[in-house]
Parts: sequence; C-alpha cells; structure tokens
Amino acid sequence: MKDIIRIKCLLSSDVETLINQQIKKEAHSSAIYLSMASWCNRHGYDFSSDYFFKQAEEERAHQLKFYKYILDMGGTAISPEVTNIKIEYNSFREVFEEALDQEINITQSIKSIAARCTKEQDYITLEFLNWFFREQREEEYKARRALELFDVIGEEGTGKWQIDKHVGQIAYNSEA
Amino acid sequence: MQQTTTISSITFTEVFSIKDGAIYQSDSEGCWYIDFAGKLARFDYRNLLKLKKAVYQIDIEDKLLNNGPSADVEIIFICACDHCYVLSLLQIIKLKELLQGSFVMLELNHIIFDRLHRIAS
Ligand SMILES: [Fe+2]
Ligand SMILES: [Fe+2]
Repeated sequence: MKDIIRIKCLLSSDVETLINQQIKKEAHSSAIYLSMASWCNRHGYDFSSDYFFKQAEEERAHQLKFYKYILDMGGTAISPEVTNIKIEYNSFREVFEEALDQEINITQSIKSIAARCTKEQDYITLEFLNWFFREQREEEYKARRALELFDVIGEEGTGKWQIDKHVGQIAYNSEA
Repeated sequence: MQQTTTISSITFTEVFSIKDGAIYQSDSEGCWYIDFAGKLARFDYRNLLKLKKAVYQIDIEDKLLNNGPSADVEIIFICACDHCYVLSLLQIIKLKELLQGSFVMLELNHIIFDRLHRIAS
C-alpha cells in the first residue's frame, strides 16, 4: 500500500496544525501593533507610532512566510480570523510592556513548534524555523530596549517626549 | 492488513474496517474509497482530510446531552467534494471510529515505509 499522505505533503498533520496556529498568532501580533500605532499616534507619540506601524508590517511578513511554507510543502494554509484587538491602553509605558510580552509569547510558541519537529525528526521545518529564531532575537531585543528607555530616561518632565524620540532609533545590529 | 479486493478493474487495499463500514485505498488512483452508510464514495487526499476534520469537529457529547427540538441528524457536507452524508448520531460515532482507525493504519503504513523501504535498501 502506497504512503499517499506522505507523497502529497511533507508536513505531519500535527506540525501543519501548529504552523497554522502560528499564522494566526502572527496575524494577531500584526493587528495589535497596528492598534498600538493608532494609540501612540492619537497621544502624540509620532516616533513610536511609526515604530509600531513598521512592526505591524513585519508581523504580516512573518505570517506570509509561514503561510507560503505550508503551501510549498503541500499542506493547507488557513487564513486566520483575527478578533479581540484592544483599542485603549492605560499608559505609554503599558504599550511597550505589552509589546515585549507579546514577543516573548511568540518566541515561546515557535520554540514549541521546534520541539514538536525535533520529536518527529522533521529537520526540514526545523531548519525553516531557524530564520524565525534569529528574528525573535531581534524582536525581543528591540522591545526590551524600548521598555528600558522608560527607566533610563524617566517619564517626568519632557521624559516621554525624549523616550518617543529614542524609540525611533532602536536598531539591532549584532553580528553574532 | 494487506487484504486486497478487486472491484471492476481497480485494486483496493483495505485500510481499516468496522462492522458497519470500511475504507479502502487505491494505489493506482492515489485515493480512498469509503464504504459507509450504504454507498461507496471516492475521496482524494484533500477531501479525506476535510472529511476527517468535519467529523472530528462534531461535539458528540454535546449532542447526546442536548435534548432540544433539533433533529438527531447531522449533515456532513464537504466543499468541492461530490459526497454528502446525512447521518444519525449513532452513525457519526461509527464513522468517527472508522476514520480514527484508518488514520492510525495510514500512520502505521507511513512508519513502515520510512523504516523498511526508505531507509533500508
Ligand atoms: Fe513575528
Ligand atoms: Fe515580532
């Protein structure tokens, strides 16, 4: 008896399901960043708003990367529904706290896909995921640096204005 | 497991069977035939997965506990597939059992292929 399922698709159904869940998470991240961009813009933090607009675009690109991978491997990529995106934040700082939280969750989620791949010896997907691990390194770095500005500069006086200005300059250029 | 049946000119291999039905695989056509609820229906790779998803998604427990006015039948319609099942709750349980058994056998077949044919040689 032929192994038809394997002939049609490289991914196991478990890995495919996990990647589809990841697609939804990336879409969700993108939508949240867009919401953060709106909040920052409304409150006069123009640099931060731009920063989040860019992050939203990046998350969209991540979503598509996963999406196309599933299709290239013969699987079924599912376009996700994105709901429950909050509109209001209590403070400028809270926006950045949630941004970092979100990136940590994403890192964790990709790690668990990798764990599953290791278990079933899916080295192909594992190798594909490496790109995302590098990316998460940068994402967490930037989110953490942004949040640190609140302690380094302080929010008093023109602090928030200063923080906003510096958010636009955060870049990760490690050679490691 | 390798019990083969010939119906007209197509060779089937039985994947899994229960008292009320069976799933056969046709290597030459690269598809499966499901003998259930009084008909023999052909499913290709994508449609078989869609059927699996549709059946697994049905909340059987909820239907058992729910004594509402809605009828005790479920219509399983699969997009871009010629077949449609109108099943009673009991039949759904049986179809689910049939599919679960079949997917275990297909997974086993996959492992056998990997270990026996793809690695050794
Ligand atoms: Fe991402
Ligand atoms: Fe990110």
